[in-house]
Amino acid sequence: MYSSVEVQGETVINPHIDLPQGTLDLLILRTLVLEPQHGWAISERVQQISSDVLRIQQGSLYPALHRLERRGWIKATWGTSENNRRAKYYELTRSGMKQLEVETESWRKLTLAVAQILESV
Amino acid sequence: MFNDLRIRLRSFFRKAAAEAELKDELRFHLDNEAEKYKRTGMADEEAKRCARLAFGGEEQVKQDCRDARGTRMAETVIQDIRYALRSMRKNPGFFAIAALTLALGIGSSIAVFSLVNAILLKPLPYPNAGQVVMIWRQGPLAGIGDMPFSPGEYCILARSETVFQNLGAFKKDSFNLTGVSDPELLEGVRVTAGFFPTLGVAPALGRTFTEEEDHAGRELVVVLSNRLWRTRFGADPGIVGKTVHLNGSSYSVIGVMPPNFLFPNQEGIPPILDLPRETQLWVPLALPANPRGANELGVIGQLRTGVSLTGVEQDLENFEAVRERQIPQEKNWSSHAVPLMRQTASDARLPLLLLLGAVSVVLLIACANVAGLTLNRSLGRRRELTLRGALGAVRSRIVQQLMTESLILAFIGGGLGILLAELSLLMVKHFASGAIPHLHETGLDLRVITFAVGVTLATGLLFGLAPAMGATRMNMVEALKAGGQRSGGSATAPKMRNALIIVQVAMAMVLVIAAGLLVRTFYSMLRADAGFDATRVVTFELPLPTPKYADTARMADLYLQVLLRLQSIPSVRGAGFASVVPMGGAPDGTVIRMPEHPSANSSEKPFANYAFISPGYFAAIAAPLLRGRDINDADTLNAVPVTIINAAMARKFFPGEDPIGKQVGVGMTRIPVRIIVGVVADTKQASLREQPDPEMFVPATQNEIKVWPSMQTMQFAVRTRIDDASIAESVRQAVHTVDPDLPVAKFSTLTTLVNTSMTADRFSVILVGALGMLALILASVGMYGVISYSVLQRMPEIGLRMALGAKRSQVFAMILRNGGRLAIAGVTIGLIAALAATRLMARFLFGVQPTDPFTFAVVSFLLILVALLASYLPARRAMKLDPMIILRYE
Repeated sequence: MYSSVEVQGETVINPHIDLPQGTLDLLILRTLVLEPQHGWAISERVQQISSDVLRIQQGSLYPALHRLERRGWIKATWGTSENNRRAKYYELTRSGMKQLEVETESWRKLTLAVAQILESV
Repeated sequence: MFNDLRIRLRSFFRKAAAEAELKDELRFHLDNEAEKYKRTGMADEEAKRCARLAFGGEEQVKQDCRDARGTRMAETVIQDIRYALRSMRKNPGFFAIAALTLALGIGSSIAVFSLVNAILLKPLPYPNAGQVVMIWRQGPLAGIGDMPFSPGEYCILARSETVFQNLGAFKKDSFNLTGVSDPELLEGVRVTAGFFPTLGVAPALGRTFTEEEDHAGRELVVVLSNRLWRTRFGADPGIVGKTVHLNGSSYSVIGVMPPNFLFPNQEGIPPILDLPRETQLWVPLALPANPRGANELGVIGQLRTGVSLTGVEQDLENFEAVRERQIPQEKNWSSHAVPLMRQTASDARLPLLLLLGAVSVVLLIACANVAGLTLNRSLGRRRELTLRGALGAVRSRIVQQLMTESLILAFIGGGLGILLAELSLLMVKHFASGAIPHLHETGLDLRVITFAVGVTLATGLLFGLAPAMGATRMNMVEALKAGGQRSGGSATAPKMRNALIIVQVAMAMVLVIAAGLLVRTFYSMLRADAGFDATRVVTFELPLPTPKYADTARMADLYLQVLLRLQSIPSVRGAGFASVVPMGGAPDGTVIRMPEHPSANSSEKPFANYAFISPGYFAAIAAPLLRGRDINDADTLNAVPVTIINAAMARKFFPGEDPIGKQVGVGMTRIPVRIIVGVVADTKQASLREQPDPEMFVPATQNEIKVWPSMQTMQFAVRTRIDDASIAESVRQAVHTVDPDLPVAKFSTLTTLVNTSMTADRFSVILVGALGMLALILASVGMYGVISYSVLQRMPEIGLRMALGAKRSQVFAMILRNGGRLAIAGVTIGLIAALAATRLMARFLFGVQPTDPFTFAVVSFLLILVALLASYLPARRAMKLDPMIILRYE
């Protein structure tokens, strides 16, 4: 999961982690639990909270948002941003809330299992 | 789910708005990001660059977003449709031929299906139609078929415990309507009180019969048909309660039926019931408590809800057991029930199934044809398809695109097909009105349209899928390498094309043979010895009202008086009357006894038709007397009882001996036997294709049984010397001089009757013939297309051959041989298939074997000829090629 870069013959640990497949949806849903937000804010927030460890290719956020919207887990409305511009805000729907619970639960199980394997050796 | 659809639809239909929003959203993100960098002190340009870098490829993101919203599918379909329409414009010849071919195939299927729909699938216009059955009896005598009930048997059935909720009986009767204007003979039925409740039909005006009115003394009430009410009574809304004069008695009108209620009539019901062609009125049957009489009642029953036909069978068995106790002389009879829907359609069912088979063959030929065309075209487009493959188009994507073209083609063909179907239905209605029940009800309804769409889709898939798969199955590298050359096409493609042609020829062969057999049948019917000569013969019916002419002697006397008058008309060459003239209906039949030939076992009692005739009748219809003498005026009640038998009866019961002077009588031994004095040629009674039954003819003046057969109605035949336009009027005058109240019914020329009897056969011949012609045309067009294409493909080879010294005639022969080989393969397969298929047609044929070698030979020859003709043009084109030009072109 660590991406390593060859620098002059030695391997250094890159401070950023690429997102594992499928986790982006979970992060987006989690970010929207508190309040409706626009795309940029979501990407900023994910990076802030994860102390810049998780690196999201910002562009990949939007297809994910549109996909979630189509599935009905989030819903979009146009509002006005802090700097007084028209921005598209996303908020969690009821079925999105349920989906978040489901995905959090399965994520917990997964990490727990992986952690156990890693520690048992 | 709903959300999904909403977003898909929005991104599809409000594409511009969705695009603008997407752009705004991304712009907002990039601006914010750039702003963030600027706050760290970056220069404006640098900040924007960093923001774009962090974001990734903007166009790629947009495309991913579009995909995420699910517009892709719809867009590619639109793209494919646009592309297909463009290529149609570029190649109008191909599409015109293909669309026309499909239109012919689909159109004829729709036309035939709407006939099937109207005749076999539509419910009858009676509310209870689904639950009503018709009940028939079958006796131990083989070959007589379904028998109606006698009044006594019906009463036993009506009194037994059954699953029938309602039960009704009916029989034909004629009514002489007087007092309105000219006397007119109306055809009606006498029915029991249960008749209308069984069918569940409510009258349009007034009411139907009550239980009380179904008894002697109360029965002078009548229900009119809608048509009679309109034509004879001016649609008088106050008709209910008025009085009409029928057969000299006063009946009060109690109701008028709705326009579509015509039951019972001849549609699908065997002639043994002798129903009216169109029932004009209904009168109570009023059976007495212990009725007697012949088997002449039609019986219908309405099943209780939830009861199946098997439940009925049990009841009918019980009924027969009870009946056998009460009427022990009738042994081994059984009864069975037929759903009314099936009963009234049974006559029309078989020709329709034949048509359905024929039309599916045409549709398959059309599909094979268009598949061949499409295959040629897609092979011509190999380079284009290969290039698209090389540029990254997935195979499924190319197949999808080719299929879109095929489906569009199919729908254009289907649309044209519906128009064609409507047109041909108009023609069918014109040619076959009256031959087929419910014909006027055909038309486009939901079921027909569903069928049309289904057939169109299926054909699109059928002719589109194989070529699409075939054309895209290719080795990209090989194809690109070969791409520079004009020749091309994999080894499987010509095989597939040839197979398609062989199949088409074989199917056309089967259909044309079927049509040929029907044409032969029709001609054998026309040429068959009908036993009479219809030229300048007119016929009519003379029914006598009951009260005035009660006993048979008076009836016979009246008929003879009318006959004398007819014979004295100057233009008349001969006249006579009989119970039934040829084509005039079904004669009565009876068990007979022949003292010189006692039948060995009782279960095979001899049976013969039994009819009254007048002197001169056979001369009038020109039926040749083969032996003995005609009857004459001396054959009276006091003289020796005599009879004339037909040739079929002589053959069957007096084989190898002279029947003249032999004795024959009806089954009842108290009636004395008759002496056979003559043998007359067989005359066809109901249809030209029938095998005449044994029949005996008895002088109308020697009716000693009196109660049977009825002499209430006689049919006259009058032959004139010249074409006499005023014969109808002369006949009417002759009748009215004898009794001015007598109606002259069913006046017609015998030729018309013969033609009418052939309507259904004419209908089959014309339709199957037309379909066969269509198949022939389609197959030859297909053959032409394939041969021309192969010439086009083999151009380099042909050029080379010619350059190396091949003569033009050799090239010509080579191409022609190519077509001939395909045709012979198709004809061979077609012959084998036809041998199997025509056996199923045996029922439709007359005077020709299903494997008639003449038809088979002529049609084989015809198909090979047509195939050579179709190859002629391309062969000629190949011959005229200039080898220099071809080789230079290469």
